[in-house]
Amino acid sequence: MTIAENLFENLRLELRRGCLTLAVLAQLRQERYGYTLRKALADDGLVIDESTLYPLLRRLETQGLLASEWREEEKRNKRFYRLTPDGEQMFAQLLAEWHAINASVTATIQSTINTSL
Amino acid sequence: MELLNRYLEAVRKHLPWQRQDDIVAELRANLEAQLEEKEAALGRPLTQVEAEAWLKQLGSPMQMAAPYQVQQYLIGPALFPVYRNVMKIALSWCTIIYCIASATALIVKTPHFIDFLHILTNVPVILLTTAAWVTLVFAALEYTTTHYRVKLPGITQPSPAWSPGSLPPIDSDAMPGGKRPSYAKSVAELIFGYLFLIWLLLIPRYPYLLMGPGADYLQSLPYRLAPVWVPAYWCIVALNVVQVGWLAHNLFRGRWQKPQRIAHLFYKAFGMVPIILLLTAKDHATVLLKNPALDQVRLGATLDGINRSINWSMALICAIAAFQLVWGITKLILNAYRKRATLAG
Repeated sequence: MTIAENLFENLRLELRRGCLTLAVLAQLRQERYGYTLRKALADDGLVIDESTLYPLLRRLETQGLLASEWREEEKRNKRFYRLTPDGEQMFAQLLAEWHAINASVTATIQSTINTSL
Repeated sequence: MELLNRYLEAVRKHLPWQRQDDIVAELRANLEAQLEEKEAALGRPLTQVEAEAWLKQLGSPMQMAAPYQVQQYLIGPALFPVYRNVMKIALSWCTIIYCIASATALIVKTPHFIDFLHILTNVPVILLTTAAWVTLVFAALEYTTTHYRVKLPGITQPSPAWSPGSLPPIDSDAMPGGKRPSYAKSVAELIFGYLFLIWLLLIPRYPYLLMGPGADYLQSLPYRLAPVWVPAYWCIVALNVVQVGWLAHNLFRGRWQKPQRIAHLFYKAFGMVPIILLLTAKDHATVLLKNPALDQVRLGATLDGINRSINWSMALICAIAAFQLVWGITKLILNAYRKRATLAG
């Protein structure tokens, strides 16, 4: 990997990091277990490594944003996650913040494009 | 699948011990579901090579387990600037104190080459020990702030007593485009430098220029200066001649506003020569008796005390001058490096 590619990869990961939490919270308004969550995110174009997603679920649970329970499904025990009421509230706040950031960045990019033209 | 079991057991070894079973069980459920789906798509079980490729893609067991560990910095970004400053101060003071203590030890007894070697080889050990203690204290502080953030919220916050008015003034010499010496100031420096040189040259013939009325009293004492003062004196004269000459040269060439950092470093280095000459005087004797045969028994102990005091003072001055010189050279190198980096960037 060249220096430029490495730099891009680091910046890309930095850009994605905050968005991943938001996407996971959005998906977990509906109860899911780890693998189906990963698939749902991938289907929406957000591919996440196992070693990133599963520990993230644990952290969000420790922070009180997710609740989990072990349950049998298709003859196998699986750990299902869903948003807690605190998680719902946090998701709403983060979503509003994300919309605001998105609008600001889009406006900034648009204005610089117009200026350069 | 045997390979998956081996993989999960390897992951387990790197997980936090309290949650190992729970995490491995969840990973197993998720990975087995993924495996089943892959096998269903292929219509057959994975071959050994395919299974290895799949697990390799998941990452090594250590990589898979690492994000489950508590994220803990040895010294985090909030504390690191403070740590760096404290480390600089601690190492600087440690070096100064060690230089003074070593110089004192060398004066008290007759130094041998092995003593110098011992002092030099001890320097890295002392600096490393200091750095280790500072790091240990900050690592403990980091741990405390991370684990007791709620109980100690203000520990890494900037002090409310901080005020922009307390910021140190800018060093005009170090600042590009900072205040440069005026022509009048440079002329005054040259005139006073020249007068100082004349005064210095007249001192051996007219000691009262240095001592005032005390010169007569000193003449009456049974002590005299050792011959080592002669080369030391001429070194001081030579240094002043060079300084005055350089000032005049800069003035007449119209270069008085140019920064004189290298010249100042040269003066500092050359200024250490007379001190080193006095420090290395034979038997550390910078003052002698006028009539040793008569006064040695009566005044020998006093003379030793005088010589020891002078040596101690010279060692202290030498240590401070050496530190200033090293500091000046370091600043010069850093400035050059910064300038080069700015040009390159």
